[in-house]
Amino acid sequence: MKHLILLFLFISISSAQIEPVKGLRENPPRVWFLKNAVIHTEPGNTIENGSVLLRDGIIQAVGASMAVPSDATILDLEGSHLYPGFIESWLPVVSPIVEEENEDIRAHWNPKVRAERNPIDYFHPEKDDVRALHKLGFTSAQLVPEEGIFRGQTSLVQLDADPVGIRNAISQVVAFEYGGWGDPNPPNSLLGCIALIRQTFLDTDWYQKSVKVLEEHPQGNEPISENLTLASLSEASTQKQPFLFWATDENYTLRAMDIADEFELNLWLKGSGYEYRRLAEITDRNPFIILPIDFPGKPDVAHPYRALQYSTAQLRHWDMAPDNYKKLRDEKVSIALTSAELKSKKDFRQHLFRMIERGAAKQDLLASLTTVPAERMGVSDQIGKIEKGFLGNLVVVDGDYFDPDADVRAVWIRGREIPLNPKPASFLAGDWAIILENDSLRFRVSGNPGDQSGEIQVDSSTWKKVHKLVLDDSRLSFTIDLDFLNRPGMYRMAGHMSGEKISGQMYDPSGMMLPFSGIKISEPEITEEESADPELPSSLTTVFPEGAYGLETSPEAPQKIFINDATLWTCAKDGMLKDFDMLVENGKIVRIAQDMTVPAGSVHIIEGKGKHVTPGLIDCHSHMAGLSINEGTQAITAEVRMRDVVDPDDIALYRALAGGLTTMNLLHGSANPIGGQNAVLKLRWGQNAKGLMFDKAPQGIKFALGENVKRSNWDDPTNRYPKTRMGVEQIILDGFKSAVDYKQRWATYHKDSKTRRSKLPPRIDLELEALVEIMEGDRLLHCHSYRQDEIMMLTRIAEKFGFTIATFQHVLEGYKVAERLEEHGAGASTFSDWWAYKFEVIDAIPFNGALMENVGVNVSFNSDSDELARRMNTEGAKGVKYGGLSEEDALNLVTINPARQLKIDTWVGSLEAGKDADFVVWNGHPLSTYTSCDETWIEGKKYFSKEKDIHLRARDSNIRNTLVQKILQDSKSTSGNTEPETEESEPYSCTLHDEVVR
Amino acid sequence: MNSIKHTILFIVLFSTVQLSGSDQIPAPVQDHPILLKGGIVHTISGDILSNFDLLLVNGKILKIEKNIVPAPDMEVIRVGGKHIFPGFVAGISTIGLTEVSAVRASVDYAETGSLNPNVRANVAYNPDSELIPVARSNGVLTANVTPQSGLIPGQSSLMMLDGWTWENATINHPTALHINWPSMRIDTGKDAKREDAQIEERQKKLKHLDKLIVDARAYAKIHRNPNKQKSRKHDHDLRFESMIPFVLGEKPVFIRANDIRQIEAAVHWADRMELDAVIVGGKDAWRTVDLLKQKNVSVILESILSLPSRRFEDYDQPFKTPYMLYSAGVDFSIGGGGRYGAAFQRNLPYHAAMAAAFGLPVNEALKSITLTAARILGVGNRLGSIEIGKDATLFIADGDPLDIRTQILQCFIQGKKIDMSDRHKMLYEKYRKKYQQLDILK
Repeated sequence: MKHLILLFLFISISSAQIEPVKGLRENPPRVWFLKNAVIHTEPGNTIENGSVLLRDGIIQAVGASMAVPSDATILDLEGSHLYPGFIESWLPVVSPIVEEENEDIRAHWNPKVRAERNPIDYFHPEKDDVRALHKLGFTSAQLVPEEGIFRGQTSLVQLDADPVGIRNAISQVVAFEYGGWGDPNPPNSLLGCIALIRQTFLDTDWYQKSVKVLEEHPQGNEPISENLTLASLSEASTQKQPFLFWATDENYTLRAMDIADEFELNLWLKGSGYEYRRLAEITDRNPFIILPIDFPGKPDVAHPYRALQYSTAQLRHWDMAPDNYKKLRDEKVSIALTSAELKSKKDFRQHLFRMIERGAAKQDLLASLTTVPAERMGVSDQIGKIEKGFLGNLVVVDGDYFDPDADVRAVWIRGREIPLNPKPASFLAGDWAIILENDSLRFRVSGNPGDQSGEIQVDSSTWKKVHKLVLDDSRLSFTIDLDFLNRPGMYRMAGHMSGEKISGQMYDPSGMMLPFSGIKISEPEITEEESADPELPSSLTTVFPEGAYGLETSPEAPQKIFINDATLWTCAKDGMLKDFDMLVENGKIVRIAQDMTVPAGSVHIIEGKGKHVTPGLIDCHSHMAGLSINEGTQAITAEVRMRDVVDPDDIALYRALAGGLTTMNLLHGSANPIGGQNAVLKLRWGQNAKGLMFDKAPQGIKFALGENVKRSNWDDPTNRYPKTRMGVEQIILDGFKSAVDYKQRWATYHKDSKTRRSKLPPRIDLELEALVEIMEGDRLLHCHSYRQDEIMMLTRIAEKFGFTIATFQHVLEGYKVAERLEEHGAGASTFSDWWAYKFEVIDAIPFNGALMENVGVNVSFNSDSDELARRMNTEGAKGVKYGGLSEEDALNLVTINPARQLKIDTWVGSLEAGKDADFVVWNGHPLSTYTSCDETWIEGKKYFSKEKDIHLRARDSNIRNTLVQKILQDSKSTSGNTEPETEESEPYSCTLHDEVVR
Repeated sequence: MNSIKHTILFIVLFSTVQLSGSDQIPAPVQDHPILLKGGIVHTISGDILSNFDLLLVNGKILKIEKNIVPAPDMEVIRVGGKHIFPGFVAGISTIGLTEVSAVRASVDYAETGSLNPNVRANVAYNPDSELIPVARSNGVLTANVTPQSGLIPGQSSLMMLDGWTWENATINHPTALHINWPSMRIDTGKDAKREDAQIEERQKKLKHLDKLIVDARAYAKIHRNPNKQKSRKHDHDLRFESMIPFVLGEKPVFIRANDIRQIEAAVHWADRMELDAVIVGGKDAWRTVDLLKQKNVSVILESILSLPSRRFEDYDQPFKTPYMLYSAGVDFSIGGGGRYGAAFQRNLPYHAAMAAAFGLPVNEALKSITLTAARILGVGNRLGSIEIGKDATLFIADGDPLDIRTQILQCFIQGKKIDMSDRHKMLYEKYRKKYQQLDILK
């Protein structure tokens, strides 16, 4: 594997040094003495009147008073500032397209996995792009491959016309890239993307081990196929190369961090500008972030109705984004800056100025452009400072780089000057005295170069405009109507400007040339620009999650809660208790009794007169907070996990809390016979994705049967296997049989230590691991199903492989085979009354729940809908209406029964001593349609109350109004509006036959 | 000589449902008087009358009195303290026009093309749809069946949910001409066109709409000319012909508009074009109550059980919108459409109930799915309340029908005693038999 080591240093070797010269040789002088400049040798260190000696591309000396070597050419940089050349830490490079048939046969099976790629192999920058970077002061750049998930390696190059490498193979880039729904190539979801990343790291480990075993024991082992990606990743892991994850928002940052933790990666991040939203969690892990500063343009809120299209989070982000850098720096996060993501490179410095006005330290910013990236990329002895021995990369600015009035005049790369933005030789603007034959005239020019206008004085109060005024370099021309001098017709002037003088010819209407000369008599009056007030940092405090209804602080969590004289629906053997008290301590229910004495000390008392208290409601089938629902490219996707794609910002969570929901089963969609792993969540609004997890809940998985997996209702029928219910049985059977084989393979491998030493290890397969866990009873199976035939079929498969299905979901024909469900021991998580939305539910009846319950099946009602999840209590009431369940049994359908199905009934689902204090205070009978939820508590914390909700509404409405005013008065944002984010799309549901299969 | 037919209603639902082995049979036209004795009569238009009798004759309510003496030809039904309500009216529905929404062959509410003012809903109404008895047995007794797609989807028809043929079942046609107001929000999605292109496209549609109205009026002038002989012969045009009653203001135009920009634009447009407009959908109606009130425009709120339109809106916004319209004096009814429309028509009362849970007085909630709906559909004189002379389209319930736990015991449509069975109850009974055979259930 030695030959695969890609990590080596370039010692500024240019191909030009070995390439034969075409035509005449070019050898410009390479010894320069730059003097009289303010030299920023490194952040925090300045030489006021210093000099730099460059020789053959290297800084030979730097200091205050130095002798000029005899062979050096002196450049006087009086008034200029010199900075070390800046490092662009993220320069995306598009790779050449490789057709499928031209792919290397040693490439990874998935074209989105190309870790071996290195953009230095194909970097041919556009001149204009490079120049735009030079104008910002960048002299070197980290090249980043642009496509895929494992995108390849980064390399650092000088930004020359003929880019020279400084360091190769610095980091491995990973991005969360996936196709959209309908894309046949895996992955087409974030779910599949993260599963593929995890599997690839496992494969790398396996590949590394296998190669070693094969080297040591070539005999008796079948050779494995060479794989360029896995080889490249093995190398990265051996060298502890950083993995640079592109996180497009704060939740992606946390996802990247989780992956890095799991595989012990040296994590770098490409930031998003949203880091401030989860600052504590992010800074906690002390990351290195390459940060873009593409602040949003102004939201277009001038029209009040258009303004409604902007979410509160988007308005807030407009205000808060420029503070992100400082917030991270205040927490000592190591940051390199990039101009990537900016719509216009010109905005880069504008944004830096805004950040400085808002309090960012110039020294920090300079470090983020020089020493920090140099250090991280392992080249801190070559670039990032103006120091003896460093590469001759410099930025020449006619003032302080961080001052809006200063311009970058030149950059030096490898000791060669690249001039930029040359200072105009002379300024036309001002008052001129003009002599035209016998006439003496006053000529006044105002405006900025490129946009100037001129006028000639007629009398003390009138001026006459000249037309077509052009100053092309030093060549001047205009036309003028000189009627007032008794010279009828248009005169054309063509002249030349030299310093403070103009001379040339005036062509009169007959074509006669008249001599024309002028001399500057005064500079233009500098009108004091009304200096806008300096920009202040946003006065907003971050809320969790960011946007409307986000919480400023953790919810109220009294140590003791006493509910006095309420109607308690225990959903346990005590049933409904009138005028009972309940005591909660430290988030747990301690006691339920009548006429308890209020405990001593600080107690939060809930007056229960007229109120009903139930356990927090539980929804056994939900897609709320799912950023991605289906990995639809393959029929079996047991390796994907909903926990990877939890979106804690989903407003559906808050709305459901307001309806008394406290726990939910976040399921994969129903696109595949064997779908992904579910996540049981508590609706702890404000927490991050991890904070929502119901940690003690057993792991599970979603299966699906029927029309959705057959893709029966797709506009374009596909030929994915299976297409019939016959095929559905076979593919599931195939999955479990291979899981049996897989388990056997590992058992054999583990049998004795000799095998482990000399034989190739089996490969860890996340998909089959999950299937083995199901068979061993460690993973609960929740199966989307409708018809009785398929329900019965799956119970038989389960029994064949020795496990019990936890729940059938939907199970709308469960009433036809309830005795089978009961005998097998599966729960039924069904809709109260849905039917007729597709052919397989034509026999669905609202009596389904009651009938199954009467036969002895554990039944719950679920929502599968963000809308319905807000009113699960009255869904329960349908159990009374259709089939005559008792009110207590009806409420159980949305409390203890789903808790049992998810095997979390030890902690939730009923009001009993010892359980989590997850409860709801209702303003009336919980099954009544007239009732609404007053308060929702989870683990003794008040996550929702009508009172608090009213406070949040007022707060947010106030913030929106303030922000709209601020936006309308703002003059600092860069031009161009930011568009409203696409509004909420129709939430997912398994029942939809089109677009998304839930 | 015992010609008095006595039926006693029991509390338990299924003792009252005579389940036959067959599908539900449309009821015969009322051929004898029916006396509902001793009910709590929720008139909706007036008081709640306790222990009153109702006499239904020839499909109409003849008497509402205490202690009506039974006559020999009367069928007497002892209501015994149960509640009587006028049948619920679904203001916007696709029932009868679709069976299984995912099966294209069973979908008949979306004609091709964007201008279909001439298509009419009732001709495609399938009186044998399995969805009809399901909605009916929860008290939804009439429905305004509505075409759905394109700029002008067509004309709606008010149907009674019982009958052998669509002609039997039609109560009022046309109830309205429907317009789907073009979207006015600027789409900023990935594949969105440029803003000015979007605006131009919308303006083009609206110009077209303007022209249609003007042309239809011109067409009416020729074809409704009392001196037909004198007017020039003009060839027929189905579209314009169908629009005459609407452009002349004889019948209303229902405009679907949810976003505030749409609602305001639609109201001003209808005002300018002198049309009798009703806003359908109306999610943002609460943002523009003054205009609605000032222009006297009614609103059919399509779904109360729906999510707020915007992330920052109050979690209960759709629930309290009815109360906000009521408080501002805007005339509104609740349609109860929403997801999967037809199959969920039976849940219409629970939309009204949610409005009541969030501020709307209960009688107003009931009104929004009975009397107001009927009035907006042009049949306020026939349906929507229990009043002498109105259609005997009503039901008996064992409690408050806005509460899910309440059972609807018996429905009448124009005095016809309705078969209370439906596909769901039949399948329920069928599979109860299975478990009885297996000795699991008694």
